[in-house]
Amino acid sequence: MMELEALQEVNPEVRARGARIVALTPELERYTRSVHKKLNLTFDILTDLHLKTAEQFRLAFVLPDYLRDLYKSFGNTLDRFHDESEYRLPMPGRYVIDKEGIICAADVNADYTIRSEPSETVRVLGIIHSSPTKE
Amino acid sequence: MSKLQDHLDEFKKTFESGAPPYNAPHEAIEMTHRATAELKASGIEDAALKVGDRAPSFTLFNQDHVQVASTDLLREGPLVVSFFRGHW
Repeated sequence: MMELEALQEVNPEVRARGARIVALTPELERYTRSVHKKLNLTFDILTDLHLKTAEQFRLAFVLPDYLRDLYKSFGNTLDRFHDESEYRLPMPGRYVIDKEGIICAADVNADYTIRSEPSETVRVLGIIHSSPTKE
Repeated sequence: MSKLQDHLDEFKKTFESGAPPYNAPHEAIEMTHRATAELKASGIEDAALKVGDRAPSFTLFNQDHVQVASTDLLREGPLVVSFFRGHW
């Protein structure tokens, strides 16, 4: 959620550099809809159903049993949120992909309390934006 | 502009103090530490796609049930893709 709010803050700068943000979560649309509305986002949240895309980026992992029980006790029933019985999550990550489909920035961290600054992402986009396009 | 990491540090401090609104019990804090350490040890950070790799394409539904294809978006410009856990 903090990641989304921080990305929303820089979205005008991202758009000014000809780029676009999308946020991916395994959650069903009924949840993405409410988050999108609550945070007044001007970029899309996409439902990565059953973590198919997270798997391809090799970010998907299964929660250990003890954490599954803890989350359940907090009311975080991921089986309902994700429409699958396995408690899986994507490792938090932020990627910049250039027009040719190549990853030109990758920030992942197994510790969910550590993220790179969106200003750094904007800086990378600025570099891509100012470099001559290969046509 | 506010720093994302400052907000996250603040969250972590509050969570680990056991204070409201989270009121996290000591065992819960221990469990999250253990889980993070195990996830790091699993090598997932090294396995994840990296700079220079070709990004997989995806076609997914957005919050308004409209299909969005990464290949369409990339025709217009670069893409920032953020993976997050969810609304909780």
